[in-house]
Amino acid sequence: MPLAHGEKLSTYRIQALPSSHLLKVLGFRKGTQFTIQSKQPFKGPIVVKVGNRSIAIDYDIANEILVEEVVQN
Amino acid sequence: MNCHGDAAAQVKPGNNKMKILLMGNPNVGKSVVFSKLTGVHVDSSNYTGTTVDYTIGDINFGKQQGVMIDVPGTYSLEATSEAEKVAVALLEEGADVVICVLDATHLERNLGLAFELKEYPIPIIYCLNLMDVAERQGIKIDAEKLAEELGSPVIPTVAIKNQGLRELMQTAVKLSKERKDSEPKLDEEEKWNRIKEIVSKVQAQVDKELTFIEKLEDWTIQPWPGIPIAILVLIASLGVVVGGGKALRAVVLLPLVKQVIVPFLTKIISLVIPAGIFRNVLVGEFGILVIGIEWPFALILPYVFLFYVVFSFLEDSGYLPRIGVLADGVLRRIGIQGGNIIPMMLGYGCAVPAILGTRAANTNKERIMVAALVSFAVPCASQSGAFFALLGDKSIFALIFVYLLSILAMLAVGVILDRIIPGKSQPMLLEVPNLLLPDKDAYKKKLKLRMKHFMMDAEGAMFIGIIVAAIIAETGILNEFSKLLGPFVEGWLGLPKEASLSLLLGIIRRELAVLPMLEMNLNTLQLTVGAIVALFYLPCLSVFGVLTKEFSLKTALFIALITIVSAFLFGGLFNQVGRLILGLMG
Repeated sequence: MPLAHGEKLSTYRIQALPSSHLLKVLGFRKGTQFTIQSKQPFKGPIVVKVGNRSIAIDYDIANEILVEEVVQN
Repeated sequence: MNCHGDAAAQVKPGNNKMKILLMGNPNVGKSVVFSKLTGVHVDSSNYTGTTVDYTIGDINFGKQQGVMIDVPGTYSLEATSEAEKVAVALLEEGADVVICVLDATHLERNLGLAFELKEYPIPIIYCLNLMDVAERQGIKIDAEKLAEELGSPVIPTVAIKNQGLRELMQTAVKLSKERKDSEPKLDEEEKWNRIKEIVSKVQAQVDKELTFIEKLEDWTIQPWPGIPIAILVLIASLGVVVGGGKALRAVVLLPLVKQVIVPFLTKIISLVIPAGIFRNVLVGEFGILVIGIEWPFALILPYVFLFYVVFSFLEDSGYLPRIGVLADGVLRRIGIQGGNIIPMMLGYGCAVPAILGTRAANTNKERIMVAALVSFAVPCASQSGAFFALLGDKSIFALIFVYLLSILAMLAVGVILDRIIPGKSQPMLLEVPNLLLPDKDAYKKKLKLRMKHFMMDAEGAMFIGIIVAAIIAETGILNEFSKLLGPFVEGWLGLPKEASLSLLLGIIRRELAVLPMLEMNLNTLQLTVGAIVALFYLPCLSVFGVLTKEFSLKTALFIALITIVSAFLFGGLFNQVGRLILGLMG
């Protein structure tokens, strides 16, 4: 599922992502887990929380990041 | 923002003046560490051949003297962005020691850069900053163990409270006498595995209840209540700038200038110089010494000063990128990324730093668009000051109308430019910094630097404009000019023909297109027309200069042309329609 379709407060794990230097240095790798913190109107960026930091990801990039939901108990 | 050449290159490592490079990821409190460790001589320079500025300051620690360079914040040293290229170039110039600031709340990501620095033959000391925030978030880091793993000293600090900085400098001085060999480069996979391993060894996390700041951090990034909060913040900022500026002006500056300084100068000049043109040029109605002191210092300075007071505070608090995230959805409709709202907001202070600010990380298309929007419809603080002086007392609605018009115009121009300028905008991908209370020292230094640049860039040009104004007004050239432009100014714009002076002076400084109208006893319609013309009118000479420098003469001329044409078009249309409506109402 593309990250852009994820839901607020749900946790996801990255399965595949476009190769981008900035994504890499911001800590996005295959297997990285994060929670969606907020989604912005008008197809604005998706803000995700990786560890303690919030990262805003453009909607189109979020569309190219494939994730699977991590079920938390 | 001055081009001093490379101040950094002038200090060679190895002599008794120590050279320290301060490096780190963006938003790790690097500038706070910098301002705490450096003395009063601080300046920003442009790194030759790039669009990146860095700051350099002097250090005096015991008997040790030297300089510290605040290297632009980067996530890595792969030279894929301008900031990274500058960081690499500064490293290759050499230094006695590198202080690498790590954010204790984001250790894993910060260690990426920490590892890459080890590849250079310069001793490193790690400054583990923001320890207080980490503690608040329930993060515990064993600094000694981390030092062992990294093979270099790690000093925990809370820079904002001066904690650990003495030890940091002591260790830096000691290390600067030592030599270090470069270490082999690790491949990407290996590096991150090693970092993961280190983090799991040195860091422990306990769950803590969310503090108020953390809740605020969350709220300000949600559409609700983030957008209402952003609107409140902007209204409050405007309130401080407008209200505070008015108060400062009315209570302190105007009485001081009008009742003390100007009468004093008039008296002295009258004693020395006989009545006539020359005396009038100096202390007449438009006299250089009268207007030249009153306009810049009593009318404009308070607003510019308060604008930077508010803007620098918002900037240092980490709040601005949040507005960028919230605005991205809308700004993308006009082809630019949300982050560009920051240079655009800076444009409400002065268009020159705003245009320089577009260098940051955007595509060329975005740079031109933001620069054009700022030149076209964002009134600068000086101009706003003039608007408040012109319309604030007469009609608050006209004032609000002018600002709404500026926003509408920006959206319209944005949509048009998005179509005609080729290229794409860069999608948003950014780390949202923590919210924090700005540090007093870093804040003061920034404010001082900004006011210094304003004084040098703006007040000088304004003074020249006023000299020109005094000469053309007091020598009768204005009358000739008014005759020429008169029919147009009177007929189409409905302004008295003396307003030609505004149009002439507006070329030199934006607010000068407005200020002469203060003395003309205009009605509200005329004032609004005047304000509209001034809003869209050609940006000042400095903006024209910076547009030419940053882009090309062609771009600058193009922007100048569309601004002048739309100023007269919209101002005139508003006048004609306004008269029609007033006429119908009888």
